Amino acid sequence: MRNSAMAWLRNRYPLTLGSIAALAISWNIYVALNNDGIITGRAVTTDQQPVGGATVVLSERSLLVAVPKGRATTNEKGEFRFTGHTLHHLYLEAHKEGGGRMPPKEFRLYFKGQNLFLEKPLVLEESK
Amino acid sequence: MRQYPHWPIHLILLFVSALMLVPFIWVLKTSLSGENIFSYPPALFPRDPHLFYYVDVWYTIPFLRYLVNSAVVSVIVVAANIVFNSMAGYALTRNFPAKRAMILLFLSCMMIPFQVTIIPAYLITKKLALLNSYLGMALPVCSTIICIFVFKASFEAIPKSLIDAARIDGLPEWRIVLRILLPLSKSAIATNVILAFIWSWNNFLWPLVIIRDQEMQTLPLGLSRFLTVVEDTTGALYAFCIMVLLPGLILFLLAQKEFIAGLTTGAAKG
Repeated sequence: MRNSAMAWLRNRYPLTLGSIAALAISWNIYVALNNDGIITGRAVTTDQQPVGGATVVLSERSLLVAVPKGRATTNEKGEFRFTGHTLHHLYLEAHKEGGGRMPPKEFRLYFKGQNLFLEKPLVLEESK
Repeated sequence: MRQYPHWPIHLILLFVSALMLVPFIWVLKTSLSGENIFSYPPALFPRDPHLFYYVDVWYTIPFLRYLVNSAVVSVIVVAANIVFNSMAGYALTRNFPAKRAMILLFLSCMMIPFQVTIIPAYLITKKLALLNSYLGMALPVCSTIICIFVFKASFEAIPKSLIDAARIDGLPEWRIVLRILLPLSKSAIATNVILAFIWSWNNFLWPLVIIRDQEMQTLPLGLSRFLTVVEDTTGALYAFCIMVLLPGLILFLLAQKEFIAGLTTGAAKG
């Protein structure tokens, strides 16, 4: 009885379909644990100095235009944070009055609302 | 008998197989990199591969809904094909008046393309009030003549003495098919499953004709809708193609041994 059950489990049909099901369940668990919609990062100058008080704009590109979805202001360490976004293809841009700007930068995610912790800071350049 | 080395044939087969795989690899590569077909220099392997085009497809259209629709229709088609084709195949192994004419009729019907019968098929489906339904989508492919002949060949390969013994034991005809012929015709069943699944899965014209509701659309219809929604189509379009192809491919790879056996059953019969 046990041997026949083991043989059935080793059959390519349950093995393949079971693997696909396991993969789908694992992926959904991963998504559920990482879809808080948090985006965190830092804004710095070209010489890596934190930029406080800069405005970071989160936007989504539609067919023709970029639609703003949120704004955040950096603290004195240059850190910013968005929560509750529901995008999978987004743009971040930053600017500060008299402190330069960073043009929109594209970020692509694997699912909507995926948490994004930017390893590289947004670099604001002085406009010439 | 002189034994010739096998390696030259294997080498040629390997080359031909690789050649046949090139279009598929090309689609896969484009779905991972978005490289246009005209990009220069051409590359067989993707540069900077990523899966974001698959994500775009998933969210741009209701992919899961289309997948479920296609799966439901395919399950109906596969189940109906096994039931109806096995019954018809068994009938063709029996002797009855005008059997030859019936076989000729079946064979001649195979030569009529579906496009020719689409208007009567539509009118019948409308009369049955099955427009815009799963059953309506499945109806024209619920039985296919090729698969009837696959079952016929498979049933004919089973020793007649087995059927005679069952009949002596008092088994009715439907139980002979269910209890004796079908368990011995796994390869024919696999062939039916694969062919019916692929035909149903790739069916575009019939669902296009009878489906009005966007929620009822299947994957091939979703592909045409996708083309109208997405601006930069190259990578996402190819990703969509891979996502549509994958279930059929997995099914074929799983059952290919039985599929080939099913198609060749009775081929060597004298």
